Amino acid sequence: MAETADRQSDGAGEPSSAPNQREVKRWLASLARGNRQWIRATVAAGVVSGLATVLQMYFLATLVHRGVVEKVPVTDLTLPFILVLLAIVVRAASQGLQTHMAARCSEDVRRDARRQINRQWQAAGPVAISHASAGELSREWLDHVEALHGYFARYLPQMVLSLIIPLIILVLVFTLDWLAGIFLLLSAPLIPLFMALVGMGAAKLNQQHFQAISRLSGQFLDKVRGLSTLQLFGQTEAASLLIQSRSDHYRRITMKTLRVAFLSSAVLEFFASMAIAVIAIYIGFGLLGYITYGPSDQLTLFSGLLILLLAPEFFQPLRTLSQHYHDRAAALGAGAEILERMDKLGPRFQGDHPKRVTNQAAGPGDRIELQSVTVEYRRGHPVFRNLSLTFEKGSCVALTGPSGGGKSTLLHLLAGFVEPNEGAVSVLGQAPGADSFGWLGQTGFLVNGTWADNLRLTSPQASDIAIETALKNVGLRPLLDSREQGIYSYVSEDGQGLSGGQARRLSLARIFVADYDLILLDEPTAGLDTDSEVYVLEALHKLARAGKTLIFSTHHQALLTLANRMLLVTEGEVHDA
Amino acid sequence: MRELAPWLRLIFQRPVRLTVGGGLILITLASGIGLLALSGWFITETALVGLALAAGAQATINLYTPGGGIRFFALSRTIGRYAERVYNHNTVLRLLTDIRVYLFRRLATTTPVHRSGLSGAQWLSRLTRDVDTLDTLYLRLIAPTALAALVVLLMVVLAGVWFNGTVALWLAVFLSSALLLATLAVFLRTRRISSRQSEREERLRIAVIEHLEGFAELTAAGRTGKHAAWLMRQAQQLSSEQAKADRRVGWHLASSHLLINLAAVFTLWVGFSLFEAGLISGPVLVLLPIALLGLAEVYAALPEAFGKLGATESSAERLSRESDATKWDGTAAKTDLPAGTALIASDLSIRHIDSAPIFMHFNLTVSEGEHLGVVGHSGSGKSSLANALSGLMPAYHGSVSHVPLAYLTQTTVLFEDTLRANLLLAHPQASDAELWQILELVEMAERFGLEADKLDTWLGSAGSRLSGGEARRVGLARVLLSPAPLIILDEPFTGVDAATRKRICQRLEQWLEGKTVIALAHGADALPGTDRMIHLTY
Repeated sequence: MAETADRQSDGAGEPSSAPNQREVKRWLASLARGNRQWIRATVAAGVVSGLATVLQMYFLATLVHRGVVEKVPVTDLTLPFILVLLAIVVRAASQGLQTHMAARCSEDVRRDARRQINRQWQAAGPVAISHASAGELSREWLDHVEALHGYFARYLPQMVLSLIIPLIILVLVFTLDWLAGIFLLLSAPLIPLFMALVGMGAAKLNQQHFQAISRLSGQFLDKVRGLSTLQLFGQTEAASLLIQSRSDHYRRITMKTLRVAFLSSAVLEFFASMAIAVIAIYIGFGLLGYITYGPSDQLTLFSGLLILLLAPEFFQPLRTLSQHYHDRAAALGAGAEILERMDKLGPRFQGDHPKRVTNQAAGPGDRIELQSVTVEYRRGHPVFRNLSLTFEKGSCVALTGPSGGGKSTLLHLLAGFVEPNEGAVSVLGQAPGADSFGWLGQTGFLVNGTWADNLRLTSPQASDIAIETALKNVGLRPLLDSREQGIYSYVSEDGQGLSGGQARRLSLARIFVADYDLILLDEPTAGLDTDSEVYVLEALHKLARAGKTLIFSTHHQALLTLANRMLLVTEGEVHDA
Repeated sequence: MRELAPWLRLIFQRPVRLTVGGGLILITLASGIGLLALSGWFITETALVGLALAAGAQATINLYTPGGGIRFFALSRTIGRYAERVYNHNTVLRLLTDIRVYLFRRLATTTPVHRSGLSGAQWLSRLTRDVDTLDTLYLRLIAPTALAALVVLLMVVLAGVWFNGTVALWLAVFLSSALLLATLAVFLRTRRISSRQSEREERLRIAVIEHLEGFAELTAAGRTGKHAAWLMRQAQQLSSEQAKADRRVGWHLASSHLLINLAAVFTLWVGFSLFEAGLISGPVLVLLPIALLGLAEVYAALPEAFGKLGATESSAERLSRESDATKWDGTAAKTDLPAGTALIASDLSIRHIDSAPIFMHFNLTVSEGEHLGVVGHSGSGKSSLANALSGLMPAYHGSVSHVPLAYLTQTTVLFEDTLRANLLLAHPQASDAELWQILELVEMAERFGLEADKLDTWLGSAGSRLSGGEARRVGLARVLLSPAPLIILDEPFTGVDAATRKRICQRLEQWLEGKTVIALAHGADALPGTDRMIHLTY
């Protein structure tokens, strides 16, 4: 489905700031550094498991040699049997421990990543947050961070293991028979080179596979998204045939490239199989004494069998790594998107605690002051230039003027959501945002929970009576009375949700409960039904009478009459009207 | 498991492909095991013969058969692996299509508006995640389990033939308990966690969205930090549950490997006594334990796949619920209309699933050829009314009857397809000339005339980008193209500038001559000419 351009223009004008892969890798490395001990423990368990495997094979070969060649009766082989059992148990235990630690490590990494994003959100502030889609931000916080799991739990440890374990085996095989060692080495010419080969193939494969899936899903989703339209035109069957034929088309294209991409894993498979075959035949001929050069006259059933048993273990870590390669791709992709968002939200946050409170000078405690404030979102296009304003404590100020004239920016300045490029703002003797205040946006905000949960979200200490009073003040009492458990009934219950107006009144109730000195409201009555409008007006009236400082933007006549001061905000100019 | 049944049936509709694919995997696995086992046999045989030769005894050995066998297995493993991967990926992509087409057909029978309580985007992303989990059902779960069972059977039979019945019986016990440990046991031990997981994740997702939507209010109250900490705890709980499941999967894998290794050692131990009794030869004694060691590879991927089965199950359940939702009877014309009437709504009440009724006891009669305007503020329920009149949204109470209609919904819906395909939806038989004529009417003919592909210009993210107003006009053109006698237009000119709107309106009046039109907008100036006007108030 084609998105309309207004939605697409969002961010399209900015220069592309996609972080490069190096930056993403650096970020992943920094996450890994914080959880070094778990990654090390995972690798250590993997190494122990590898060593136990080598020992298991060693004792198995010993057993076969002593039983078959030396004809030692089975009753005398108790010790090697016990040792092999011991090796097996250690192997299984360390294998289990490896996944245990890996799970733990990834758990911590994900927590750290989420914390970082949270801090970034907090540092960016509500205005920047409101410019991004909540759905996308939440997807990054949840799904993208989740996508890091495989990288830290599987790929990263396996990467180290696929170096260490083959090396251990190689050394052992060389001491047993250097020619067999050379066969192993030749079949994996240089392990890094081999890994690169695996990596390239797997990366290509992944890319292709995911591209295919996303294309197929894209086709499907496009049609599902527009399903109502298709139903209205009676074209659903045609659309399902189209999904089928398009999907088929993509499948054919994808298979063409996959056929090539799979070759790289086939190469790994080929080398692994051939190495085993060549080693087996070499050992066999050596044992028969057919080979007259090299170390083969030293071969015994023990050393020969051990080499054979170790050969597959030599390749196993690499094969596992290639299976986990998609974890790397997924983490890089997710990491890139997370970083891109962080960069968009502002300078990347490094410290421990987000500092939103600025160094603006504290002013007199009985008024709100803006001193020669300049705000510009884009260079050379100031919203306000050199603006100075004073509001008395306890006044009720209406901001009016055309949309885009700067009403919201003024409110954001007072809220501390936006910092002035120049000048200073002080709110009742504090920097803006230093003290909590009431804020009512254009959309009501409610959480999935009870009425009490919703009000205690901002005022955790509020008593039941205070909550009931606040809800009464915004005219939600009748609704509350209809619910069985009063303020402890769920806001959305039995399919009875809240209308937009009721939701905004709920938000207003939060302000009543909290007893703030300053209350900022952005178009508090815009788009409300008459019922809600009356209640909101009445509530604001009560707040004004209670001596609160109210500053709101509005076009609404009734609200304008409520104010004892009216300001006209147009094109960066603010005048008393 | 019942929830999976329809999807399993769908997958098994390709029995030949599944069998061939499974056969290829079997060849690969058997070759891998065969390669090792035969090599072990060969080395032992040569070692014994070599010793005999060294001792001066007369001994002969057939080098060609085992040597050839080893080379054969090495090759068949490589080729098998490659063929298996190519073939099975093809199968997976086919199944992917099957699953999506099947689901789409089922969804197409449900009521369009409010397919679930979630918002459109959320619903869609959850649907995507749910469908994705079904994709791997065959390659990760069905095929490996079936083949592991088959290989186990093969091993047991070989043990019976080469060793004896008792060994075979014990092996059967060892290996099938390892198989159960790697499959069913993992499923049962992770089922609750992983089926709850997606539900929890959904709840957390909603909470995160709430956090972001209320960010200004929370910041004002100085509560962002506390609320974020609460979210962190929820997420932590989620990932620690996930880690718990992961750990269980890991331990199950480790213990199934332990059992396999124990089986190998056991076979060796019993084999020694058979060897001492002269019942089997040394090489055969070595062959079976080594083959058993190779089984680990067959089992390796099973626990992880079964660890996710719980989630797959609940995804399948959600998808079934979704596609079994209220059936939609379509916008088909009703026959009980008096002559000369295009639409009758009687005693109509509409409400969204989670809120109070928007309209109650609404009555409306629109005669044929009438042009009705409906005007109301945003939020006055215009779109809901249009949805209800068109049948897109089921009436909560009362009824609507109408002649066949075409409906321009408030949001512009264009598909990622060519301009032609997008337009033809409304009137599949329309000729190119008709398409150009209608584009001319909405003043888009020139725009697409300049495109290289003309009517075949690709729309959507990958193709030509339309502005909001342009997309709206294409949507309008599509509805106008429809031969239906009743046309409902909801805010037909969103994003279209006043001058263009005026010109289009003039032409529109001519075009709509003789058709019944219901046009809805926030103000009368955003509507084409009307005979009658209804004002909606709160």
